[in-house]
Amino acid sequence: MNRKTAPKTNKIGAVSFIAPEAHKLNKQTNLLWMGKVPNETTRIDLYFNAGLRNGKNATVSMTSSMLLSGTKSMQSTEIHSRLDDLGAFFDIGLSHEGVMISLYALKKNMLEAFKVLFDSIQNASFPEDEFEEIKAEKIQNFRINMNRVSVLAQRSFQQHIYHGTGYAELSEEIDFQSTQQNDLKTFHQKYYQKGLFKIAIVGALNENHIEVIKRLIEPHIISESLSFLDSFCNKPGAFHIEKKDAVQTAIRIGKTLFNKKHEDFLDMSILSTILGDYFGSRLMKNIREDKGYTYGIGTAIAETGGSGYFLIGSEVGSNHLKATLLEIQKEISTLQQEKVGSKELQLVKNHLLGQLLKMSDGPYAMMDLFLSVESYQMSTAFYNNYIERIHAIDAETIMQTAQKYLKWEEMSVISAG
Amino acid sequence: MIEFERYKLKNGLTVILHHDPTTPMAVVNTLYDVGARDENEQKTGFAHLFEHLMFGGSINVGDFDQELQKAGGESNAFTSNDLTNYYEIIPANNIETALWLESDRMLSLAFTEKSLEVQRNVVIEEFKQRYLNQPYGDVWLELRPLAYQKHPYKWATIGKDIAHIENAVMQDVKDFFNKYYCPANAILCISGSFDTTEIKALVEKYYGAIPGGLKPARLLPLEPEQKNFREKSIDRDVPADAFYYAFKMSERKNIGYYLGDFLSDAIGKDQSSLLNISLKKEKGLVSEINAFITGSHDHGLFLISGKLSDGVDFETLDSALWEKLNEIKDSGFTERKLNSLKNKLSTAKAFQEQGLLNRSISLSLFELLGDANGINEEIEIYNQIENNDILKFAQSILKKENCSLLKINKSK
Repeated sequence: MNRKTAPKTNKIGAVSFIAPEAHKLNKQTNLLWMGKVPNETTRIDLYFNAGLRNGKNATVSMTSSMLLSGTKSMQSTEIHSRLDDLGAFFDIGLSHEGVMISLYALKKNMLEAFKVLFDSIQNASFPEDEFEEIKAEKIQNFRINMNRVSVLAQRSFQQHIYHGTGYAELSEEIDFQSTQQNDLKTFHQKYYQKGLFKIAIVGALNENHIEVIKRLIEPHIISESLSFLDSFCNKPGAFHIEKKDAVQTAIRIGKTLFNKKHEDFLDMSILSTILGDYFGSRLMKNIREDKGYTYGIGTAIAETGGSGYFLIGSEVGSNHLKATLLEIQKEISTLQQEKVGSKELQLVKNHLLGQLLKMSDGPYAMMDLFLSVESYQMSTAFYNNYIERIHAIDAETIMQTAQKYLKWEEMSVISAG
Repeated sequence: MIEFERYKLKNGLTVILHHDPTTPMAVVNTLYDVGARDENEQKTGFAHLFEHLMFGGSINVGDFDQELQKAGGESNAFTSNDLTNYYEIIPANNIETALWLESDRMLSLAFTEKSLEVQRNVVIEEFKQRYLNQPYGDVWLELRPLAYQKHPYKWATIGKDIAHIENAVMQDVKDFFNKYYCPANAILCISGSFDTTEIKALVEKYYGAIPGGLKPARLLPLEPEQKNFREKSIDRDVPADAFYYAFKMSERKNIGYYLGDFLSDAIGKDQSSLLNISLKKEKGLVSEINAFITGSHDHGLFLISGKLSDGVDFETLDSALWEKLNEIKDSGFTERKLNSLKNKLSTAKAFQEQGLLNRSISLSLFELLGDANGINEEIEIYNQIENNDILKFAQSILKKENCSLLKINKSK
């Protein structure tokens, strides 16, 4: 056997993207249901218009942390114990654009668990003792986080990226301290009791259960359509935050870009992959696998409701900061001046197709893919276009995309360490 | 029920095939029976450093990742004190590429100086990122040598000293490979949609001719039974005082592992757990408190850790904690609590088993413990746990003389 030659590879299979059933709840709100699941698991995601953009960070974040901390008729411990009895668990995610609450349970327990969860969210009463407990917890977490170079860099990066807008607001310890119980109640009333803008269900529940869920959520659905800020422009330039005795320095480099509605989004995604979004990327090969300056370095395109940004992130040995920044600049200008070789381009294309296949494996993955286009009023046709674009894109286009969107002088370059 | 087929090649390689026709992907998982516990005390961190070197080119293939990416696949690995595990996730129709690559690095590595030099640096940066440059990051570097005096669990997977990694030389790499990275010391698990006859032929083609080697005997120093309470107090630049109570418990194969897992969930996994309700909610002594087990293959640890609320001292926490632990040792839990824990475990397991990668890793881990079918038996073990079992277990381990306590004082 000749071990030196790679075995023949096959073309990566086609994906048929499946959209969930959409039940219209009102003009702008859908219940999405992926009912074909070959096992007993179920998940319900609830989306509320209760993100950071709608209030002071401390208020918004404390409210989301207190959603299951008691109602007039049920104490926090009882809510959690009831969910435990049903073997259910949940998590809560907070972003600028909204709050997502995911509930996980086996099919036989989901409806009951949902009733408990939804009731405690809608009727949250923000009891005094729970409020003080959350406040203390937030303050302590805040203090711990302020000792991390990655957090220091990320905070400053956020200020630079969202420069001049409400999104740039950062919380300080004093903000948690000065937040009042009533702030949470007012926020809750406005953005939870009348703020549900999407619900996504995965699981082989029966139709009756779906109907019951619809009736429960109906009074809490948002009535106006959402609109998002789309006029961001980052503040370019270098900025360093000193943290004494840090053995590593965190780096965040980026600029305002766009989300998947933009015509260049796919090309930019492919470019970002080449530069830093997989293990064999230019940055990983150079800065980790050749120089050993870091444990990891990567790029990403982050999307917001109306915009998005490009990001390069890493933590490097503090003595390697300068050299790393130079190498990053060098890799970017190489992409702007030299066409990507055909072997590398083919590799990246295969890698992306493999990733897409993986990302569409199973009903949960399908739902997540769907949700990530539905938020932008797009359909799964997006993914078919993506596959076509992966096949079609050439080295010349990638070089032009790098020239257009990766200008170093437009970047915010943040370091902390 | 997770179906699988298991057999051994002539060279001693254990092969597990798990067929799942519903997915377009495949997973090739390779577990080597070697971890940080097998290291020489003067050369710690080596099993993990070696894991990095496995990506630095094999005897016939210059760039492992590149070849895998060409076929639409991706790869990663992890090392623990007990074992080292590698996996590839790849479109099922390119599974042969993963077998080619993984078998070639089982056959032999390229052993280039460049790769050793770079990965030494990468691991040193990993050491800094995870252990030195994080608040409370070095806890395990302090806690392990307090809880273990003889057993190699006394050092962390990353190593006990950066200097050990800096001093690693090529001969160490070669010796390590020759001793541990042979078919007789490995478990290969292939999952996904495939034709069983074809896949067996491919396994024979790529792995059949690799010399089997000898499974190394594992002769580790026994940890003597702990007879006295141990305590260590250190000062760090952190915003809150923190505590780590570490109790010795049984090895992974013992029923004690399941009881420990169950008990730790009950007292300190989430907001409705006993210690959370009592010490955080009711008494306000801590801002967080958790209980968990290490799940080590040899004698493991049962941990209770947390952070003190502002203005609370260690002594107050200590007496309140022991009071609560003694209550548990006296009366255990209600039927309702036991049932809810069992229900949560069933839900968690159903979700974990959705993932092909999770199933592959679990099958390999259980095979290492003696039988891959353990994956299908564990829920039943949890379901049979009764209050009496928990009581006896709690009484046997939650004792002061069985405890090592690490305290971290915030320095002003």
